[in-house]
Amino acid sequence: MMSFYFGRLVEIFPFFLTGLWMTVKIAFLSLIICTILGFILGMMRASHNIFLKRIIGFYVAFARGTPFVVQIFIVFFIFPEWGLQLDAFPAAIVAMAIMGSAFVCEIVASGISSISKGQWEAAASSGLSKLQQLRLVIVPQSLKVIVPPLVGQYVLLIKDTSVVSVIGVTELTRVGWVTVIRIPEGLMVFALVGILYFMISYPLILLSNYLEKKMTV
Amino acid sequence: MLANFNFRIIFEYLPLFLTGLKYTFIIAIVSLALALIVGIIACACRISGIKVLKYPAIAYIEIIRSTPLLVQIYFFYFGLPTLGITVPEIQTGIFALMLNSGAYIAEIIRAGINSVDAGQIEAGHASGLNYIQRMRFIILPQALGVTIPPLLGQAIVLVKDTALLSLISVMELTRSGQTMTSERFMPSEAFLTVAFFYMVIYFCLKPLADWSQKKLIFREAY
Amino acid sequence: MIEFKGVNKWFGKLHVLNDVNLMVQKGEVLVICGPSGSGKSTLIRCVNRLEPIQKGEIIVNGMSVHKSSTNLTKLREEIGFIFQQFHLYPHMTVLQNIMLAPVNVKKITKAEAEKIAREKLERVGLAEKADAHPIQLSGGQQQRVAIARGLAMSPEIMLFDEPTSALDPEMIGEVLDVMVDLATEGITMCVVTHEMGFAKKVADRVLFMDEGKIIEIGKPADFFDNPQTERAADFISKILTH
Repeated sequence: MMSFYFGRLVEIFPFFLTGLWMTVKIAFLSLIICTILGFILGMMRASHNIFLKRIIGFYVAFARGTPFVVQIFIVFFIFPEWGLQLDAFPAAIVAMAIMGSAFVCEIVASGISSISKGQWEAAASSGLSKLQQLRLVIVPQSLKVIVPPLVGQYVLLIKDTSVVSVIGVTELTRVGWVTVIRIPEGLMVFALVGILYFMISYPLILLSNYLEKKMTV
Repeated sequence: MLANFNFRIIFEYLPLFLTGLKYTFIIAIVSLALALIVGIIACACRISGIKVLKYPAIAYIEIIRSTPLLVQIYFFYFGLPTLGITVPEIQTGIFALMLNSGAYIAEIIRAGINSVDAGQIEAGHASGLNYIQRMRFIILPQALGVTIPPLLGQAIVLVKDTALLSLISVMELTRSGQTMTSERFMPSEAFLTVAFFYMVIYFCLKPLADWSQKKLIFREAY
Repeated sequence: MIEFKGVNKWFGKLHVLNDVNLMVQKGEVLVICGPSGSGKSTLIRCVNRLEPIQKGEIIVNGMSVHKSSTNLTKLREEIGFIFQQFHLYPHMTVLQNIMLAPVNVKKITKAEAEKIAREKLERVGLAEKADAHPIQLSGGQQQRVAIARGLAMSPEIMLFDEPTSALDPEMIGEVLDVMVDLATEGITMCVVTHEMGFAKKVADRVLFMDEGKIIEIGKPADFFDNPQTERAADFISKILTH
């Protein structure tokens, strides 16, 4: 029986590849958005504007304090009630962007705060504007602290894309879910799904470990 | 935009939410306790230097960390029955959460142990302490403080992770929101209430994690 | 007591100990000096097997240090080691620091260990600090506690790895005083240090190393006043003109 199903699985393997492609697409798009948005938010959070800090703080708390699956439901089911109707794919990207940028924001903000006050003072003394101080002096130094956990966060975000399967985006996990109904070999089907995720995540984990080691030396 | 927000229906469904909340708590606490045990064992194997223990531990940790939790949950949910094992969904879910968090906890503990200054270990060597004694008297007491903030962080992650069990129809907090949505189609009321409860838990745990982190930094600053 | 027989050690390609032959007698005080990177710290770190060696043999009290059959615990019981950075255990009080090894390695009772610990603290002049934590002590005090910790095992040999290099100048004296005290009591000591005053006062012999080799060894008076090699003369002139 098992070998029969194995044959079927091989037959529909291209279906898994389309799922993988979708996962890569979602991951790639949302990682770019998360990074840009996260850096902007993080730099704003490190500013001294209390009002900005509070608002971003609340946003981050919401994104980090509630499960991603709940956030997806909110984007997909509630945004339409507020007049923002999204298809599954854009909804997935929006949800990923909201959640991921909050995590990136935290990493960036803590990286910036790791730079000593003297650096700000030195930059200010040479007449740089606040934004220039950040862009030219503070952020370049803090990259050393930011990049290793950022790559680690990318791995987590890539894995989180699996959750968008719940609103019907046919990415890798959804492919497994659909397949297991036709081919009732749960171990085999999801082992295959797992292997495909492993192929994307593991190199990034190794990269993250490597960067961590390199940066701390 | 919340003009039509229907509080009455939330009160009507409150018992359901509270049941969900209760199960979220139970699942999170049981999984965390089990994951701690798994994590300690996996970490001990990984740093043991004994090949038959070390490599399986590494494989376990890396596989878990490289695949999504949802896939792991489905793996056991759809997979265990094919092996002839049928257990309630909640047990399958706790099992998956335990294995998942266990791998992360193993790495947290390992990082804590590695953070102990090499000179401390040398001093232990120099006074003739053996491996177990060095672990017990010198390394673990110092590593413990370092591991507490990330362990609390993992606890926060674990609470959120329990939400994925709603997808294998475990009646926890998120599932109660889904149930209400499917019965009344009022997703705003349902999911914002669910989100509210998660936020309450988050705002209880987060200050604790921050506080432990601050205390640690304070101690190191001496 | 301590004997080096053709000891060689490499860190990767770097030849840190190059065919070292040396005999340290019981009760002798040996001061080891040399430029940084000369291998002097490595030399004493090999004596209690904090470092492996690749060739040759070190014998301490008849035990071959790097032989796998040697009882490492027994060996280390007989050797006290003082680190440049003290390495006191920050999570324990001073007293607990000193009692840890006697209780857990020598397996003596806690009461007995405490008695010994207080005695040793007295000896380094810090009896009143028994219940303090290391962070509450100055560097000099920490190093004296570390010495008390080493002495608590009643070792026959004490090794010092630049014990005063991490200290502020005003604290060096208090640590050296304790060490002078020990030297006159007949414990075998190997001290890596640049404190030439200490060497002149108590050393039986001074050993000068460079690039992993023993360049010169002799009585302090001979070594300082009449070095045999140019390298040693150069080194002495550099540290004495400070």
